[in-house]
Amino acid sequence: MQQPDTPSSGVASGGAAPPAPASLCVKCHLHEATLDSRSQRVCSDCFTKFISAKCIKQVGIIGKDIRNPGTGAASQKKKYLLGLSLGVSSSVLVHLLNENVEYQLAKGRNAPFDLVIVHVDSSGLYPSSSSPGSVQETLEGYRKRYPRFEFRLVPLSAVLDLDTVDWRTLILPSSAVTPPENEQQLHALFFDRLSSPTSRADILRLFTRHLLISSARTESCHALLLGHTTTALAELTLAETAKGRGFSLPWQVNDGPVAVVSHSTAVPTEPITTTTTPTSQSSNATTTTTESQIQVYHPLRDLLRKELVIYATELMGTPSLASDLNIMIPNHPSSATQQAAAAVVSHKDLSIEEVMFRYFAEVEENYPSVVANVARTTGKLVRLLGGDSEPATGSHSSCGMCTMPLDEQGDERWRGELGDEDVEDDMTRSSAGRICYGCERSIRG
Amino acid sequence: MAPALCAICKTERALIKRPKNHAKLCKGCFITIFEDEVHHTITSSQLFYPGEKVAIGASGGKDSTVLASVLKTLNERHNYGLDLILLSIDEGIKGYRDDSLETVKRNAVQYEMPLKVVGYDELYGWTMDQVVETIGKKGNCTYCGVFRRQALDRGAKMLEIKHVVTGHNADDVAETILMNLLRGDLARLSRSTSIVTGDSRSDVKRSKPLKYAYEKEIVLYAHHKKLDYFSTECIYSPEAFRGSARSLIKQLERVRPSAILDIVRSGEDMARLVPGESSSSCGGGCKDKKTAPVARVEDDIGGCGSQNGRTPGGEMAAMETQLRENEASEGLEIDVSKNISQKEDSENKNERAVPIRTGNKNAKPVNRQVLGNCKRCGYMSSQDICQACMLLEGLNKNRPQIQI
Repeated sequence: MQQPDTPSSGVASGGAAPPAPASLCVKCHLHEATLDSRSQRVCSDCFTKFISAKCIKQVGIIGKDIRNPGTGAASQKKKYLLGLSLGVSSSVLVHLLNENVEYQLAKGRNAPFDLVIVHVDSSGLYPSSSSPGSVQETLEGYRKRYPRFEFRLVPLSAVLDLDTVDWRTLILPSSAVTPPENEQQLHALFFDRLSSPTSRADILRLFTRHLLISSARTESCHALLLGHTTTALAELTLAETAKGRGFSLPWQVNDGPVAVVSHSTAVPTEPITTTTTPTSQSSNATTTTTESQIQVYHPLRDLLRKELVIYATELMGTPSLASDLNIMIPNHPSSATQQAAAAVVSHKDLSIEEVMFRYFAEVEENYPSVVANVARTTGKLVRLLGGDSEPATGSHSSCGMCTMPLDEQGDERWRGELGDEDVEDDMTRSSAGRICYGCERSIRG
Repeated sequence: MAPALCAICKTERALIKRPKNHAKLCKGCFITIFEDEVHHTITSSQLFYPGEKVAIGASGGKDSTVLASVLKTLNERHNYGLDLILLSIDEGIKGYRDDSLETVKRNAVQYEMPLKVVGYDELYGWTMDQVVETIGKKGNCTYCGVFRRQALDRGAKMLEIKHVVTGHNADDVAETILMNLLRGDLARLSRSTSIVTGDSRSDVKRSKPLKYAYEKEIVLYAHHKKLDYFSTECIYSPEAFRGSARSLIKQLERVRPSAILDIVRSGEDMARLVPGESSSSCGGGCKDKKTAPVARVEDDIGGCGSQNGRTPGGEMAAMETQLRENEASEGLEIDVSKNISQKEDSENKNERAVPIRTGNKNAKPVNRQVLGNCKRCGYMSSQDICQACMLLEGLNKNRPQIQI
């Protein structure tokens, strides 16, 4: 694959303070080894190349994947949408992709792809922890550093305009709650309806995903790129398992097509009209669902988070990438909630994601290969419904909240085994949007 | 302030906050609902048939004591028609079993059940104390676990019983699921979620009637029913206590009480996603749609009974080393023109290296192993010689040296 020479080559290693016993890098045998990389002593140059090679290899795979199905689209320029959380991983991904484009241009070739970068701004949910406008400022820093790319800020409340969420799923069938239409209502939705930090983090993650997918479609992008590292994918695997979402893991952790389902109602702007008679109407009387798909990739899937932290904080010249872009390097995943990195946090205030983040930070330190193996293993699980390459057909339905396929067989068995005669069950199964076990847990507690 | 009333009967004072869902209940209603839920598990999975002789694997610990108590209660209340027997294993650990066996003996009297104690010495010629003398404290839990699994089966065979129930609870199952995800062992993940293990080829089937019961509720049940149980943990399992999965489960439970059951649900669903496994909810060997899926019993849960499957730090480190070696060799053959197929190749390679247990070197985790019987002891095994016999062989080789 194209392996870019890093622009900063030589600079980073020159700036490092030489440790006492000079040992040479095991890869190039030229420079002094200053870093431990996967149990090898390497120089910062080789480490930097290793990081970008791992990423660009995956980007190359995307290019091939996308060229094949679209007949005759080979000459067409690819366009990707990158979800930027402003954390380390997605920021490094922006940096690496920029490097790749510059490298190609320097070689006299065309830029290999266009990139639109979207940050979903959820700071409105937790206004106390971040001053207004700070996200704008931070994003301005990215724009200055990477003028080639287009940066967009999408407010979380924009999710309310999407028809890819079946809004009936968030409304108690008995109550006359109107669908939220602005920031306040979104806030109320989160803090009145969702009982725990885990539920809030869970739904926030889903909303963010909906917005990224929707943006990618509006922009006619060929693929959505997410910044998940190996470590993040391992965390995702165990967190989703702990939230009862094991069934959907093959769609979440692997690269490839995922379904996009639109729930267009008779009166699209007023979904409330469909919920007034939620039980008497049989399914699809007022709602039509249309389905398409989008490619989702995780180009950093072969890299550990700690490697990207080193990359962003110690390499890439002075000031480091992290300080230049004002990236928070958290002790826990606060990128969404912007909570202060308090050392002592009551377990009640943690989400399952945060528990997993802490857990894997420890495991990654001593057992990085174990972390990598988790993500790899999850990748072997098969997608039971729908095809790997085909969009899901009408033969099965999908969750109105997370869009993952509904596991009707599993649901039925579980009801039998647990004897959970949920009062709301009848509602769930009727025309009002149906949701999966994991979403049910988050929304209905 | 008026005391909160029980959410079920609405008359008694609520004294218990259910660990499972934080419902506030009175003592009586808690005990009833706990028993009802176990009853539901038993009937929905059709665990027993009338007149069946069932051995309860009894350690004297809370899980098996609660299991014995609940089964006795339900057997009488719902006329299961079961012939219940307590089956205890004496590993031969001084100071551990002495007291817990006394507990089991008292249980036998309290529950009016016959008791059969089988010793490792009569089964294997080795007590655990002698094993530890030979191999040290590290890794002895493997021996204990492998020996115990067969011991229960052999004990059951001696009593001509074809069904052994064990006290594994939801926490144990959830822990095994997370541990197998961490180990990358999908085959075991798939097997460990079944409520019934053992298939038509094995003489003895196992089941876990407390599979959906929270450990904390088991403790509460034992407390409020004033059950007589023995609460000292095994003295040989210090490293098991640092079990990664165990502490993770406990943290998750604190964050969201439903997490334990949610993990069990995820595990059951993921079992159907393992390549090569049957895609139906039935684990393969079941004909009647309503009966519980049956998985093979062999090496489904490691470690020792009450704290099965805890990952000792040593095991994780060994796996790390193994995986790194794979990565190193993988790095030697990068073919950039075929990166997609190469990715698959390397996956297969790692697959082969994942099993870290002795005697299982050739296993491909994802594929179903071919089931046969051990050539030495006849216990069902995917290898020519079963794990227990392999371990015994190693021990017996060392014995003369130790005795000198």
